[in-house]
Amino acid sequence: MKIKQKIKIRTDKPYIEMAIIVLFVTIILIAVLLIQFKTVNEVNETDIENLRDTELRELISSWKSKYEDTQEKLDEVNNKIDEYNAKIATNEESSEIINSELQQTEILLGKTKVTGEGVIVTLTDTNDSRIESSDLLELINELKYAGAEAISINGIRVLAMTDIVDIGDLYVMIKPSQRISSPYVVKAIGNQTYLTSTLSMKDTGYIDRYTNSGKNVKLDKQNNIQIPAYSGTLEIQYMKEVTEE
Amino acid sequence: MILIAIIIGCIIGTVIGLYVPVISYTYSVYLAIAIIAALDSVFGGIVATIKKEFKVTTFISGFFGNAILAILLSILGEKLNVNIYLAAIIVFVGRMFGNLGTIRRYYADKFIENAEKRKLHIKNKKENKKENKTTNIEEKRED
Repeated sequence: MKIKQKIKIRTDKPYIEMAIIVLFVTIILIAVLLIQFKTVNEVNETDIENLRDTELRELISSWKSKYEDTQEKLDEVNNKIDEYNAKIATNEESSEIINSELQQTEILLGKTKVTGEGVIVTLTDTNDSRIESSDLLELINELKYAGAEAISINGIRVLAMTDIVDIGDLYVMIKPSQRISSPYVVKAIGNQTYLTSTLSMKDTGYIDRYTNSGKNVKLDKQNNIQIPAYSGTLEIQYMKEVTEE
Repeated sequence: MILIAIIIGCIIGTVIGLYVPVISYTYSVYLAIAIIAALDSVFGGIVATIKKEFKVTTFISGFFGNAILAILLSILGEKLNVNIYLAAIIVFVGRMFGNLGTIRRYYADKFIENAEKRKLHIKNKKENKKENKTTNIEEKRED
């Protein structure tokens, strides 16, 4: 009876309101508490050790920065590799061109052993007349005029700066410092027909003229003439390339 | 009635709490502070009822206001790189202990009072019985 009375006394309006408020408050409190318990439990279960939030964040940021650094380095290295590859490609091309050019110039200069069709002119001293340097020079001129690409005298390559002079009565010297004597075998590579026709023109040709003046000149055609390379060194002392601006 | 409300609230709260998804660990600090603030308000409310100064508006505003303020302050601390939530915890937990002490003393006093009352009650009963006996004896003597 007493309990019933108490309840009856406390069923006035403000009391019910308060009860409702208490109900809501407890609901919220318990729910939030449980959420918190669950989160804490979950974190322990997933076990990110006992690391604090801030520590984890620091770790993440440090790893991130490291990752970014390495990524940058990787990019740089990749770029360099690309550059080098491009350079290698261009280098290969240019070196090929340069090589072919070099070969051509060396052939033209006379630094390589060459072979091809051409003529062999043999000049021999006789008792009556001696072959002089001027004769050889003229022959070389004629050959060049006829389009000879490579010329040699007694196995010595004749170059652009080759000079031929007399030494005494017996020798002809080809500069630099090569002494040669009769018979003089002049080999020339070029168009065979041009060479022969130029040399053996009637009366005005080299051979006719010289045989007429009593010198021993002989012309041979050959399909496989071999002319050796220039054995000395080519040095440039005074001339310089002019760079046009 | 209030007891029933608390029990129902506990049950509903448990159900809600079990079905609400887990929040991120980063925000659990703020939630913890909010919980402590709310608990502080609850104990404050109990003390107020004991002292008969309880007001519903004060209680509700304290319950939500303290929680929200604590969260905001700790966010501010996070932004300022100062652990303000430590201060909040110290303040709230200190107050909680104070309030709990008040409650404990009140109930302890009540208990002692009750015990003394009971003793008095028993004593009175005994004295009454004695008196009865003596009267009986006297009556007998008269006989």
